[in-house]
Formats: sequence, C-alpha cells, structure tokens
Amino acid sequence: MSKKAIGSRVFMLVTALLLLGGRAAWASVNSAPQAMHIMEGFLPPLWAAIWFAVALPFWAIGFRQIGRLVREKPESRLLLGLVGAFAFVLSALKIPSVTGSSSHPTGVGLGAIIFGPFMMSVVGAIVLLFQALLLAHGGLTTLGANTVSMAIVGPLVAYGIWRGLRGRLSEGWVVFLAAALADLTTYVVTSVQLALAYPDPASGFMGAFAKFAAIFAVTQIPLAISEGILTVLIFRALRNTAPVEMRALGLEGA
Amino acid sequence: MDWIDRFAYSNRLRFVHPGQKVALALLVIALCLASDKPLVGLLAAAWMVALAVIMARLPLRVFGGAVFTEGVFLLWAVMGIAVSIHAGGGRWPLTFSITAESLAAAQRPFARALGGAATMAFLAFTTPLVDLLDLGRRVGVPLVLLDLATLIYRFVFVLLESLQRMVSAQETRLGYSNMRRAMHSAALVATRLLVDAYQRSQRLQTALDSRGYAGDLRVLPTQYQHSWPLWWVTAAVCLSLGMVWWLI
Repeated sequence: MSKKAIGSRVFMLVTALLLLGGRAAWASVNSAPQAMHIMEGFLPPLWAAIWFAVALPFWAIGFRQIGRLVREKPESRLLLGLVGAFAFVLSALKIPSVTGSSSHPTGVGLGAIIFGPFMMSVVGAIVLLFQALLLAHGGLTTLGANTVSMAIVGPLVAYGIWRGLRGRLSEGWVVFLAAALADLTTYVVTSVQLALAYPDPASGFMGAFAKFAAIFAVTQIPLAISEGILTVLIFRALRNTAPVEMRALGLEGA
Repeated sequence: MDWIDRFAYSNRLRFVHPGQKVALALLVIALCLASDKPLVGLLAAAWMVALAVIMARLPLRVFGGAVFTEGVFLLWAVMGIAVSIHAGGGRWPLTFSITAESLAAAQRPFARALGGAATMAFLAFTTPLVDLLDLGRRVGVPLVLLDLATLIYRFVFVLLESLQRMVSAQETRLGYSNMRRAMHSAALVATRLLVDAYQRSQRLQTALDSRGYAGDLRVLPTQYQHSWPLWWVTAAVCLSLGMVWWLI
C-alpha cells in the first residue's frame, strides 16, 4: 500500500471513529470528571515504577505524621476520613465549565490547608485508589503517577500559595490563585508525565508535551478558572454561614 | 456514582475469596504491562468482558458499556501519540502528521491500557471495597491506613446522599438555571457539605467514645469460599495471554 493510501484510510478510519465516538465521548466526558487520571496500563512499567518512587517519600512522611496525630488526638482520625470523603464526593458536584464537573483541588487543597500536604498525600492516595475501584477511574500501576500529580503537586501548590501570599493579597485572590493554579499544575504535571513516557519521535519531549497539553487544555483551562471562582465562593460562604466550624478546622486565623 | 458498588455486592462472584479476584487482576495487568504485543491487551479486555458476563452474571450492556466508554476515552488520550508534530521543514511552521509508525506506536499503549482498564473494571464490578480492605488486613496493611480507608468508604456514600439531596432541592428551586446561579449553588452545596462532614465527624466521635472507642474499628470478617472454576479460568486466561505473547 502506498503512503497516500495509508493516509486516506487512516483519515477515513479516524473520521468514522470520531462520528461513532463523538456522542459517547461527550457522554463519557460528562460522566467522567477525572479526565486527568492516567488510566491503568497507560504508562510503561518503567515510568509507573519511577512515579511510585517519587511518591514514596511523601507517603512515608505523611504516614508517620498521621500515626503521630492519631496517637495524640484520636478524634482527628474521623476528621481525616471525612476530609477524604469530602474530596471524593466533591468530584460528583457539577460546576459550570466545559466538562461540567469539579475536580480535585478544592477538596484536596482544603485538606492540605487543614492537615498539611504530607498527610494529604496519603489521604489523596486512598481517595485515588477508591476512584479506581468505585468509579473505574485511574488504576493500580498508575497510582504513583496520579498521586504525584493530584495528591502531591496540586496540594503543595495550593498550600504554598495559601501560606506565602496570605496577608499580601486580598483573601479572595489568594484563594482563587491557590485553587486555579493547583488545578493548572496538576494538568501540567500529568502532561509532563505522559510526554516523558511517550516522547514524540520527531520533536522529542517538548513536542509530546505540547500535544498532550493541547489535548487536555480544552477541558482543563476553563475548569481551573471555574474551580478558582468556586473555591472563592466556598470560602466566602463558609465565613458567612459557618465561622465556628471554619475556626475549628483552622481555615481562619491559622 | 454508586452503581458500580451496587453490582459489586450483587454479582455471582461476590463471595469468592477477594484474594482470588485480586490475584487474577494483578496477573492479567502484569501480563498486559510486560508484553509488547497489542493483541495481548485486546485479548485481556475480551476475557474480562466474557468473565464479567458469564461468571459474574453482570449485564453485558452495563459492563461492556463501561469498557467501551473507557476505550473512547483512551482513543482521545492516544491521539497525542498517534499524531506526530515537528517544527519547520515545509511551508508551515508546525507540521502535524499521522504515519504508519506513529499509529503503530499508539497501538501498544491503547491495547495495554484497554486491557488494564477492563481488568480494573472487572475487579471493581465484582469485589466490594470492604472485601478488599479485609484482604488488606489479612496481608498486613497498617491498621491506621485501613481504618482511614474504612471511614472514607463509609462517608463517601453518606456525603454523596447528602449532596444529592441538597442538589435536587436546589434544582427544584431553579438553582442551576444559568451559569451564575449554578456557580453560586455549587459553592453553597460544597460549603454545606464541608460543614455537614465536620459535624458528622464530631457526632460519630461522640458515639464512638460512648462505646469505648480505643483506636481501632473492629468488624466481623465475611466468610469467603474458594472457587475452583475461577482458579481454572485464571490459569486459562494467563496461559492464553502468554501464548499470544510468545507465538504471535
């Protein structure tokens, strides 16, 4: 078969698949909020192992911190569980954006502010495992990579902005930036992970990164903005309607 | 969101020892990851659909639909591999191309991930999370983590119910009629959900304290059975995947 013939066949195949899959894709995008989860089996074994190794120190520190916290304040165990469940359930909440669903940063970011990023990396990993087993999003061998992007880097960014900028900007902006940038970095990290595993034959890592980033930009950039606005509104509503709980959780005056 | 869980409790493989199902899943995933033949992944996906429908008696429409959805999703993701991009070398500053090589390069992760995703779906659809946590206890996962996971599992459904009730209350009052309102309603729900979660944790703490809670949650383990047919099928699946890998 000549190159041209292959090209036209591929083109026809892709068009047919797009027509066939268009509706299903739209439905699945709407029902699958965690578009950024790397699926089971998508990463080659080597990269899956590398990302587990990157996540491991965070898990180790977080595990020790949780052990200490639970020994000193047994009641915080329930709160940790509730924050994890909150992060999981928030992803079922529809917010106005292209895909119409929230993602992690609000829940996990709030958890990182309450408990610190290390403990949240453990809770976040449990949540990711549950998403793999209850929703079939993500997977076991990609748990390391997904933890790094969603339960480590995202919350770290949120936590860092919250700690570093508070008092220098108005609270609204700090909260917006923390949530939106946490969402964006999660998306960038996932694109980096995919590009490292599958570099472009012609343009290498950068070309691959551009491709993956472009594919996800459609849903993730509007989502980051929505997520930021949503988190600002949540903080405002918390202040107005639940000041006691907010203080108890350490979201205010901490 | 809770429909996979519902099937997990009601399928025919519910009382088979979770270790058996996990062993099957891990073996198949390992084979999919290790082999470089796209056919292995596709065969694994086919096996999983067949096992889910014939052995676990899951409706084909439900399980097949779940795998199909993941496949479509995956197609979107491998597009980044199938399309090659390079700068310069023609009239345009950037050139996009789909070549036979790039398609072949995209085939491998597609098949591998489809097999992996179908296997994960099989595990998710046939094994309730409590069984997996029980398995974790048997193999020595730290109790702190298991208790945390048990709590999260329980509260996911409690909070989900509370979320659904609040959202439907808002919907009947046109809370999502336009973007501004939708954003506002979503924020309000998330806020109340956090407060709800916090208050529930306090109430549960009181309840547990009054029953002498000393640090770990104890539950009765379920009685499982070993399923010889599933062991044979596991062997057959692994053997067939191995054969495809070596021979084709």
